[in-house]
Amino acid sequence: MEKSTENNSNQNFLKEGFKGDISKHHKKYLGTEIPEGYFTKSKSSILNKIKEDIIIDVPKKTKKQLVFWMRPQFKYMAAAALVFILCLTVWLQSSNKTNVLEETNFELFAFSDTILIESLLVDESEIEAFTDATLFNEILVKAELSEQKLDNLVLDNLILEDSLLNNYIDYGLIETLVL
Amino acid sequence: MSKEADLVKKLQNPTLKDTAFSALLDAYQERLYWHIRKIVTTHENADDVLQNTFIRVYKSIQKFEGKSSLHTWMYRIAYNESIRFLEKNNKKRYDNIDEVPESHLEVLFEDTYFDGDEIQLKLQEIINGFTEKQQRVFQMKYFDDLSFRKISEILEVSESTLKSTYYTTVKIIEEKIFL
Repeated sequence: MEKSTENNSNQNFLKEGFKGDISKHHKKYLGTEIPEGYFTKSKSSILNKIKEDIIIDVPKKTKKQLVFWMRPQFKYMAAAALVFILCLTVWLQSSNKTNVLEETNFELFAFSDTILIESLLVDESEIEAFTDATLFNEILVKAELSEQKLDNLVLDNLILEDSLLNNYIDYGLIETLVL
Repeated sequence: MSKEADLVKKLQNPTLKDTAFSALLDAYQERLYWHIRKIVTTHENADDVLQNTFIRVYKSIQKFEGKSSLHTWMYRIAYNESIRFLEKNNKKRYDNIDEVPESHLEVLFEDTYFDGDEIQLKLQEIINGFTEKQQRVFQMKYFDDLSFRKISEILEVSESTLKSTYYTTVKIIEEKIFL
């Protein structure tokens, strides 16, 4: 009977779990204690330490702010200036390119205009003479020359082929006769 | 608006921050202390880590976005601070070759704020025998009474894994203590 009661209390040991005062719970099962009034003292000590930390941190922060180029405002300004310079460079380059194009187009346009206007003022007989001369030089003479070249080529080939044939026939006949 | 959301709003308001922080200390100081104490073992260490935790909370409250509850967020900070403290301490210890690393129980006996009886010492010994993860899960669930969802957010482990880990540890404790 006594044993079963003991067993029951033992079985309850781990099923009981955490109830109520956490410090008592630890004292009961682990035998660990804390000094009297520890949490009140600890609270004030933590609060004091935090105050000390804040006092140490504040001068550090103000020191950092003294260096003007490390300030965020300056960083933004520098970044904005850099972007502006880049944009300006790109814009200037692109605007220069368009001017050159426009000038070239204008020149071409002016050139073609002057030709057209001047061609209107030239006499028709002059134009005909010019076209005749151009036709004669460019087309007829070139055609004649190329025709002559072609003839020469054909003739050369024919002569060469004939002589080879003759040689072969001569040698072939002699060989067959000898053999 | 919930009480916690209201407190967060005040903490993020520079004019109300100090008053709200005092209220925050009243509400969470004791719970966080015990959470830390179980990781770093002694009262002295827990006191140091608790101070660091609240200083960190004060400094980074502006970054709190409300993705988890304030309670969970603070627990995570406390957990990370405790782990950082242990790593720093271990490094110091290993830098000094003559100094032999102390076991959890040795540290516990040195702590003036430990007054455990046989069964409490046995429980501490069993918990200390668990893996790091098992220790945290058991302590957070059993002693800090956190829900599995909250523990999963703090430790970044799935709820199902946590549940199986917790029930395994409970079974081990029951077997070792009562058999």
